[in-house]
Amino acid sequence: MAETRFPSLYDIKAPEGAEGWETLFDWYHLRGEERREEDEQRFWFQDRLHHPEVMHPYDEIQCECWWQGLGAFNTRIFAMPPAYGIDQRVVNGYLYISPIPAPPEDLEARAAAFGERAGHYYEHWDEIYEEWKVKTVDRLDQMKAMRFAPLPDLEDMSLVLSHKGSSSGYQMIEDYSRMVLIMYETYQFHFELLNIGYAAYLTFFAYCKQTFPDMSDQTIARMVGGLHVDLYRPDDELKRLAKAAVEAGIGDEVRAAASAEALFAELRANGGAAWVEDWERTADPWFLIDTAPGHPGGYGHYGTWASEPDIPLGAVKEYIASLQAGEEIDRPTARVLAERERITGEYRELLADDDRPVFDEMLALARKVFVYIEEHVIYIEHWMWATFWAKSHELSRALAPMGAFDDPSDMFFLRRTEVMESIYDVVTAWGSGGRPRGADYWRPIIAERRRIYDRLKEWDAPPALGIPPTEVNEPFTVMLWGITTEAVQSWLESGEDGGNSLRGQPGSPGVVEGPARVVRTVQELEAVQEGDVLVCPATSPAWSPVFSRIAATVSDVGGVMSHTAIVCREYGLPAVVGTGSAVSRIREGQRIRVDGDTGVVTLLDD
Amino acid sequence: MARLVPAIRFIDEGTDADAGVLGGKGAGLAALAAGGVRIPPAFVVTADGYRAAMGPDLRRAVSERLAAIPAGATGAALETHAAEVRALILEGTEGHPLAGELREACEALRALTGEETLTVAVRSSSIAEDAADQSFAGEHDSYLWVVGAEEVDRRMRECWASLVTARAVAYRRSAGAATDADADADADGDELAMAVVVQQMAPARAAGVFMTLNPVNGDRSKVMIESVWGLGEPLVSGEANPDRFLVDKITGEVVRREIADKPTQAIRDPASGRGVVIAEVDEERVATPSLEREEIAELVRIARLVERQAGAPQDCEFAVLEGAAPDNVRLLQCRPETVWSQKPRQATAPGRTAMQAVLATLTSKSPSPPAT
Repeated sequence: MAETRFPSLYDIKAPEGAEGWETLFDWYHLRGEERREEDEQRFWFQDRLHHPEVMHPYDEIQCECWWQGLGAFNTRIFAMPPAYGIDQRVVNGYLYISPIPAPPEDLEARAAAFGERAGHYYEHWDEIYEEWKVKTVDRLDQMKAMRFAPLPDLEDMSLVLSHKGSSSGYQMIEDYSRMVLIMYETYQFHFELLNIGYAAYLTFFAYCKQTFPDMSDQTIARMVGGLHVDLYRPDDELKRLAKAAVEAGIGDEVRAAASAEALFAELRANGGAAWVEDWERTADPWFLIDTAPGHPGGYGHYGTWASEPDIPLGAVKEYIASLQAGEEIDRPTARVLAERERITGEYRELLADDDRPVFDEMLALARKVFVYIEEHVIYIEHWMWATFWAKSHELSRALAPMGAFDDPSDMFFLRRTEVMESIYDVVTAWGSGGRPRGADYWRPIIAERRRIYDRLKEWDAPPALGIPPTEVNEPFTVMLWGITTEAVQSWLESGEDGGNSLRGQPGSPGVVEGPARVVRTVQELEAVQEGDVLVCPATSPAWSPVFSRIAATVSDVGGVMSHTAIVCREYGLPAVVGTGSAVSRIREGQRIRVDGDTGVVTLLDD
Repeated sequence: MARLVPAIRFIDEGTDADAGVLGGKGAGLAALAAGGVRIPPAFVVTADGYRAAMGPDLRRAVSERLAAIPAGATGAALETHAAEVRALILEGTEGHPLAGELREACEALRALTGEETLTVAVRSSSIAEDAADQSFAGEHDSYLWVVGAEEVDRRMRECWASLVTARAVAYRRSAGAATDADADADADGDELAMAVVVQQMAPARAAGVFMTLNPVNGDRSKVMIESVWGLGEPLVSGEANPDRFLVDKITGEVVRREIADKPTQAIRDPASGRGVVIAEVDEERVATPSLEREEIAELVRIARLVERQAGAPQDCEFAVLEGAAPDNVRLLQCRPETVWSQKPRQATAPGRTAMQAVLATLTSKSPSPPAT
């Protein structure tokens, strides 16, 4: 018989040997006896979308930024009528979240405020979005301009001549503070347009569902999406570089390269320097693409296309091979747009006459906000977070030789406030000419945290905790995380009857059978063969090159608006998203059927 | 006598002939075929064919006999009168002048089907039926599993005779009286005519029905398809539990799919060739979908076409033959959907601005119904 509730948040014990894991994280992110009663009344689900893996203490800032940013815009700025923010708890190093509904008695007052506030944004959307890009890129440039290096024995003469009046040590304190604040600020920007954008999209969505009850989510998405947006630009740049290589007659050379480093050196020496320079110009910013599995930007220890050029080079090689075989590699944008217009037009024809004006208005608004919904990922999740993590690594490489800790990677086992403390420690020691306490102080603590972290990594985090709602209808939970009433039900049932199928959300239409290729990280994409069905935690633009050679996609996490769903629709590939357990349940090479119309994945052989 | 319209016309010979010539059913099939829908091969014995076969003397005799039925005759008395006129038609057309032409047409049809024996449905195709008034639908006879040219001839004549059922006579009289008393003689006399459709009984591997909307909620962006293995009779009569596919008319997605257990199927009686028997379905096919994806796609294409041609939602029967889609999909018949078509289409949010719509969405109890 199916269970009716999940274990309590407070029933979850530390994995053996990971006792004391709480010291890795901020106290306000943790369970506490005094908040137990309240927490146990709520439904918590694991945020596999942003944080499928256990977090390093330093990486905790990522979820904290959106805990605050999403909440502030919903709760305090736009007065989103039904919803406050989304609460968080860290359990065994994994993130669990729970939406907080707004008090029903406030609904009317909040609706009035929302109308005025969000109304202003909708009315001025395009100009606000232009301003948004300018301020976001400004913050990006500020962060890029920071340099973290070991402090000098003797300050440069220029510091004297400029009468600056403060030391490089002070500058390090200030830069680190600013870096954290800029990241915190840009994650505020992120939610400035996102929630109300989703509200407009959801309105169109709800209208379609009401008018055509059986219309699929993905059809609604197809009416709205499919524009030429920056989301596709990184992949387009790879294709452009592939074409440029073929035109320059160095296609074979690029394809034969053992590594990006070797290739660039060889080309520089043998008349291919222009192409290498083109690559380098393109890499900033278009290869600032975070390679984290799942939602990009969530962790500090994944590189970018820019820092790991072998990843984009692999894609360029494939595009060159396709070009040499006479194949078309450009995305069928014109076809997608034509199809979008056909679908929209034919549905519009079916409407009652009185409905067409509001349909047109809602569609126009949904399409307008959707550009942001699709593009913001490039600006924030990739450019900002990738730069933040890269600068954090630069800082760790500066601090380790100054004695803050033994190894640069140690820094990520410190919480961000502890990193601040360490900077004060080494800057003080540097100033005084004494010896910092850092490495000696942290050594046993970091060793213990590393041990705990490894234990937590092996823990199998349950998808949900607490008392499930009878119906999941909080719009953002459904849309962003792909968590539906059905998904929760299937989590309750799993463990008893796995069966030979998995249920997710239909992400992109069509039915395909093929061998499964289970891929957890971007680095493993090379193994994917033509015609494979990609089975993955989730995808991001870093995964784009793979879509030209797969037959379908199955993801653990994401809704109909996830990157996986959007790109598969673009490429005309079936996709089932948000299955919850495809990566763990589907075996490498197993034949599976992906039904992107109904959201069912069938395992065809044992 | 020179005829302007041939007595027998194959269904794919163009659409210049209307319901006055081919009858409602015949004209409907001809329009479907001309519109690019595959239907089982068929020919129509036209209204002029009826007139030619009857000849002027018999037609006059029928007319006079009908006129002689007392105005007040009802019930059993009217039945008796009608039966006498039918007998007059049946006897009078024995050895009619179209017999040779009909035999040739039957042979041509058999050749088209590629089968050894001709097995057809012979259906009345009234020139009044399916016109502005639907009330004649079902009044006249249809015969399934008719084997060979000789039997076709007899059934055709029975269709002609079915013009004169008691109910049809009563109906025609009251309709004529209501519109124009002078039309009475015409309606019962010279204008009385009947076309007959002779169509292959499709040897279906699977069969079913579709509606060009979702009958559950009236969603016109969907096609609801139900299908079973074998012939469609058990499904149409409600004896079999069909597979069910709800398909998006515009994108072609199968948004819902319910596959039923189908342990039995109706097949043509192998002994007599007439009628159906219930047979077991091979075990591995019991729980298998009775339609392939490509067949569903072709059915959706057909559904859109017939709905557009008719200008209203349709309710149709189809058969799927051996072989591969789209060539193996046959439309058997179509009629207007009558439940949702009668209701006025309700606007969802008339007169709202986008902002009002956003607020309405966010303040409603369940703002986003996810696909469940």
